[in-house]
Amino acid sequence: MTKVIEARGLRKSYGRRTGHSTPALEDVSFSVAPGRIVGLIGPNGAGKTTALKAILGLTSFEGELRVLGLDPRSRRDELMRDVSFIADVAVLPGWLRVGQALELVAGVHTRFNRARAEQFLRRTDIRMRSRVRELSKGMVTQLHLALILSIDAQLLVLDEPTLGLDLLYRRQFYDALLNDFFNAERTILVTTHQVEEVENLFTDVLFINHGRVVLDSSVEGLAERYVQLTVAPDKAAQARALQPFYEREVFGRVVMIFDRPADRWQAPLRPAAELAALGEIRTPSIADLFVAKMEVA
Amino acid sequence: MSSPAAVTSRAATTGQRTGGWRAWATNNPKIRMFQTLVRREIWEHRSLWMAPLAVTALLLICALLTHGALKIDATDSSEWLDPRNKTIVFALAQWALTIPHYLVMILLLNFYLLDCLYAERKDRSILFWKSLPVTDGATVASKIFVSCVVLPLGTFALALVTDVLFTAIWNLRAAIGHAPELIVWDTVAFLKTQAVMFLGLVISMLWYAPFFGVFLLASAGLRRNVLMWVTVVPLLAAIGERIAFGTHWISSLIDYRWDGIWGSMRIETALLASIKNVGPAEVVSIPEVYDRVHVATAFTNIDLWLGILFAAACAYAAARIRRYRDET
Repeated sequence: MTKVIEARGLRKSYGRRTGHSTPALEDVSFSVAPGRIVGLIGPNGAGKTTALKAILGLTSFEGELRVLGLDPRSRRDELMRDVSFIADVAVLPGWLRVGQALELVAGVHTRFNRARAEQFLRRTDIRMRSRVRELSKGMVTQLHLALILSIDAQLLVLDEPTLGLDLLYRRQFYDALLNDFFNAERTILVTTHQVEEVENLFTDVLFINHGRVVLDSSVEGLAERYVQLTVAPDKAAQARALQPFYEREVFGRVVMIFDRPADRWQAPLRPAAELAALGEIRTPSIADLFVAKMEVA
Repeated sequence: MSSPAAVTSRAATTGQRTGGWRAWATNNPKIRMFQTLVRREIWEHRSLWMAPLAVTALLLICALLTHGALKIDATDSSEWLDPRNKTIVFALAQWALTIPHYLVMILLLNFYLLDCLYAERKDRSILFWKSLPVTDGATVASKIFVSCVVLPLGTFALALVTDVLFTAIWNLRAAIGHAPELIVWDTVAFLKTQAVMFLGLVISMLWYAPFFGVFLLASAGLRRNVLMWVTVVPLLAAIGERIAFGTHWISSLIDYRWDGIWGSMRIETALLASIKNVGPAEVVSIPEVYDRVHVATAFTNIDLWLGILFAAACAYAAARIRRYRDET
C-alpha cells in the first residue's frame, strides 16, 4: 500500500541570515502508512512543529517529502483538499460567528459535512450566534475540532490539539477523534508533549529530539523490542551486566529499560526469561520510554 | 473532481427548481468558493458597509432637517433660487451630496488594503485560513475584488440612491412649504452628473492602482507599523533625496501618480470652460463638464496601463509572500 507520508533526509535550519543557524531538522526520515494514528513526540523545540509545517507545506526545507504522493512545497493547493489540520489552539479569528464558520467551511470545502459539524456543536454549549472572541478557550477548541473533524480528509494533522484544555475536554476530544473520525482509510498525525494522556491512542510513535528521529516504531513493535525491569538493589549489578540503556531509582528499587533489537538477542524468549529471573518485567509505557530516550540523548 | 459536464447538468436540474444563474453559481465549486471568500471579507470588515450606510442615514437626516439657507461667496438664496440657474444648482447639489460617500470610500479602501493581509497574521488566524483548500491567489483576488470592485461600485450605487432620496425628501418638504425649491429635478443633468462621477470613479480606480498595489504588498509583507511605512517612509525618502542629491525624482513620481491622469485629460480646461456665474459666485456646471471632457484620452494613456501592470505585479508578489512566508 502507498504511504501517506514519506520523508527522506529532511533538513531545516532557522536563522541562517543572522549568521548562527539553529538546525530544527537534521536528516529526518520516516514514513506513515494509511490507517495509523501516529504520535510525533518530543520535548519543546525538538523539531515537531517544523516537521509538521514541512508536511503541510507551510515552510521550506531540504530533502525529499511526499504527502499523499504530492510534494507539499509545490502542490500544497491540491494537498489541502485531502489534508486538514489544526496548527495550534485559538487561531480562529475573533470576529467570526459560529454560524459563519460553518457557512465558510461549507462554501470552500467540498468534503465538509455541515450536518455533522452541527451535530458535534449540539453536544456543546456553543451557540450559533456567538462570536469566537466571546467563547472560552475550551469552546473555541471544540468549535475548531467540530469543523475539522467534519471534513472528510485522508490525513488529519493535529499540533498539540489539547493544549490549554481541561481534562474533561481532552477526554471528550480523544473520544470524538476515535469514535467519529478515525477509520481504516484515514491517518492521523498528532504532536504532543503530554505523552501519558494519549498512550492508548497511538498505533505508532515517532520520537524526535534535537531535530533527529530517536525512535520510530509501531506500538506492538515497542512491546517486542523494549523491556522494563524493576529490580531490588542487590540484584542491580547482575541486571546492569545485561546492558540496560537507561536506569533510574524509584522507591529504593531500580527501574531499567532494555533495548533488544533483533540482531542483538536472537532467541526472543531468552532475554525476557533471564530478566524475569531478576525481578518484575513489563513493557515500558510510552511515557517512560520517552523519558528514557530523551535523558539518554 | 466532477467534470464540467456533470456540474452543468447538475446545475441545469436544480436550476429548474430554484432558477437561473444563482443555482448554477452555488453548484460551481469555484464560484461558490469565491462567493464565500467575498462574504468572509464583508463579515470581517463590517465597516465596509456600515460606514457608507451611516453616511446615507446622516444625509437623509440632513434632508429632513436643514433649511437650505445657502450663502456662498456673497451669493444669497434669491440667486440660488433663480429659475435660470436651476440646472446648475441641481447638478451642483447632486455632486456635493456624493462627496461624503466618496471621502468615506477613500478612507475605507486604503485602510482595508493596508489591513486585509496583515490582520490575519496579527491574530494568527492565517493558519486556520491556510488549513482550508483555498489558494493564496484566490484569497488575494477576493480582497482585490472586494476593495476595488465591490466597494467603489457599491459606493456609486449608494451615492446615487442617496441623491435620489435626498432630492425626493427635499421636494416633498418644498411642496408643503418647509424648504425652499432649491433642488429641482432635471433628468438630463442628473444623468450627466452621475456619468461624470462614474467615469471619474473608474478612472481614479485604474489610475491609482499602483498605490493600491503597494498598500496590498505592505499588508502582506510588513511585520508591523504598516500605516507608518506607507506614509512616513515615502515622505522621508523624498526629503532625503532632496537633501542628499538635490533632486526630486521621488516626489515628482508621487506627484505624477497623484494627478497626472487629470492633466492628460485636460480636466482643468474643461472645468474652467464650464464655470458659470450664480450671482457673484463662480460655479462649475457639471453637465457641461461631461460634454467637454475627453474620457478616451484617459484610456489611451500608456501610464495608466503601466500602473495597472505594476499593481498586478504587487498583487502577485503579495500572494507569493502569503504562500511562502514562515512567520515563526
